[in-house]
Amino acid sequence: MSKVQVRQLAEFSVPALSIGVAAGLVAGGLAAFAGQPTGWAVLTGLALGVPIAFFSTGYAVLVALGKVPTGVFAPAAVYWLVGFPLALMAHAAVTEWVIVGSPGLPESPLEFLAFRALLSMGFAIGFLWMHEQLGRHWWPRIREHNEYAYRCVEQYKEMAVSLEERKAAAGRGRPRPRKRRAPA
Amino acid sequence: MDVTSSTSDLPDGPSPVTEERVWRAGRLEPMPIRKLPKAPPSIHILGPTVFLVALGVGMGESYMWPRLVLVFGPDIRWLFLVGVTLQAFVLLEMARYAMATGESIFFGAARIFKPMMWFFYVAAILIYIWPGHLSAGAAAFEEISGIPWQVSACVALVGVGVLFSMLSVIYSFLEKVLGFLIGFLVVGTAIIASIVGSWDDLASTISGMFAFGFLPDKALSDVWFPIIVGSIAFAGPSGMQQMWYTLQLRDSGAAMGSHIPKVRGLRTAGEAESMPSRGYMFDTEDPAEMEKWKGWRRWVTFDALLLFWGITMLVTVSFTVLAMSAARENPNVGALIEGGDREAALKAMSDAFASAGSPILGTAFFGFIALIGLNATLGLFDSFSRGQADMTYYFVPGAKKIGMSRLYAGFLWGVITFGILILLFGPADGPASILDILAFLSTFAMGAYCVVLLLVNNKLLPKPIRPGIGRNLIIGFGAVFYLGMLFYSLVRFGVVVG
Repeated sequence: MSKVQVRQLAEFSVPALSIGVAAGLVAGGLAAFAGQPTGWAVLTGLALGVPIAFFSTGYAVLVALGKVPTGVFAPAAVYWLVGFPLALMAHAAVTEWVIVGSPGLPESPLEFLAFRALLSMGFAIGFLWMHEQLGRHWWPRIREHNEYAYRCVEQYKEMAVSLEERKAAAGRGRPRPRKRRAPA
Repeated sequence: MDVTSSTSDLPDGPSPVTEERVWRAGRLEPMPIRKLPKAPPSIHILGPTVFLVALGVGMGESYMWPRLVLVFGPDIRWLFLVGVTLQAFVLLEMARYAMATGESIFFGAARIFKPMMWFFYVAAILIYIWPGHLSAGAAAFEEISGIPWQVSACVALVGVGVLFSMLSVIYSFLEKVLGFLIGFLVVGTAIIASIVGSWDDLASTISGMFAFGFLPDKALSDVWFPIIVGSIAFAGPSGMQQMWYTLQLRDSGAAMGSHIPKVRGLRTAGEAESMPSRGYMFDTEDPAEMEKWKGWRRWVTFDALLLFWGITMLVTVSFTVLAMSAARENPNVGALIEGGDREAALKAMSDAFASAGSPILGTAFFGFIALIGLNATLGLFDSFSRGQADMTYYFVPGAKKIGMSRLYAGFLWGVITFGILILLFGPADGPASILDILAFLSTFAMGAYCVVLLLVNNKLLPKPIRPGIGRNLIIGFGAVFYLGMLFYSLVRFGVVVG
């Protein structure tokens, strides 16, 4: 993969990356609001934000490369079934590092992962929704020089054209005179 | 498709009368045959079910069911599974008529027997003019912000009215707002539940959903049985919310709904296209049309299963996990709940969340309750106004001259004005003496709409698109389930629902 492609993929992944940043800001902000020391709040924010940003970017790259269709739920659900538990595992390890002084896995790590995997569907729905909303504003801006964004916008255009056809086919207004057909 | 008749497409103004094929359904005006549009090419994450989710994820999911779990244990959740699954089938069958005709289920009810529609017209007014959801949400907001709940509730009411009046097309905006709020709610509860809860909580919550038949003696008492009946009714969108969904489905342009103009805000009401005087039907004997119909059924099934069933289940599982971990930290929650004090119980659950994780979790809990109140208010006000305007437009003489958008605005501002008066001078949930009647009407409406669905889908639709025997049996079971439990509660305990 050339440098240009890597740069374009990074640019395409900005909406996904920003979801990770937002997750980190929320986690850190909540900790600060709850009265935790600033250093701890920043660390908590990074511990959750960085892994989620990492997995979010991974998902965007799969979309850019055409491995995952845009805006379809099932692949996102499968992706976060793995990504969400791992991101929270990283968060838990960093939390323990801060409290105990050395990083460590939570008790019963398999149960830990299974529990988060079952709750990942909710995160997947929210992620997909945000990714679509942010992407629709970002990708048209960069499509002139970004082949991945161009392809993605074209997919949305196809969808929009199809919706327009749907409206046109509906043929609102007064009915055109039609030839009487024999009853079926 | 074997009927041919004369019809005009628009109700007012001179129009050429043309011979065309129509579908006769009931005694009202026949439906002209039109082309069915193609189903969306890909499965999109957001459809009109977002309204049902916004309406459905309410106090039932965040408070009533976690409360029952705290009192009876997680095995009581099998009743929730039955309730939500039943509602998912109701949703699919409501969608069948609305998508095939572009008409609301109210119109369908009128085609069968007009007084049935008037029952829903009156019941909607009696049940949904009370600003109970908003006052609960505003009370939770007061816990966070300190702003008196009457102030925030009144400001929210006026804000909603101005917003809906200023919008060009109401549906598009509302879909985006509710989509965002629901997205935030779902992601937030998933993250908090995954940080605070444990595998054991989740395992017992999920295994409890399959403990079919579990009903301890205490659940059959005069105190708890009516509450359980009410909670089953509130599993998912209760009362008439499923019926209103057919209007949102129409406004989203789903299937034959694309032939019907959208409802506009008051500011652009003059630009609205004329509403046709009835819906349309497609040619069910054309294989190409039937193929498109299958595409639409797949689309709505995805919407029902993922967005409605999945999200509703996920939010309640998250809240139940949170409640169970809260109960471990603060065993007094159960006693407060058994005392029947809703506000004290909510406060205790919030405190328990705070002690289980960090103080912010207690605040987050109230934040979610406030958000649920706002969601429900936005969705309910829109749906109520839409439903009443629809029935008024088509069935009150002279109402067509006013126009659908102005009727919508009239009902919207009517319910807002009444809400403000009640918030300032009366009980927000409604006078205690009529609460029982409202609860009865709400549950009765659910049993009644199952009967309406059976009649409408089997008598008014062409044979190739009627529901199969399995679905009819499920909807029939719904009618027996809701009405049976309601009347059992009434006869056995003299109380309708709690």
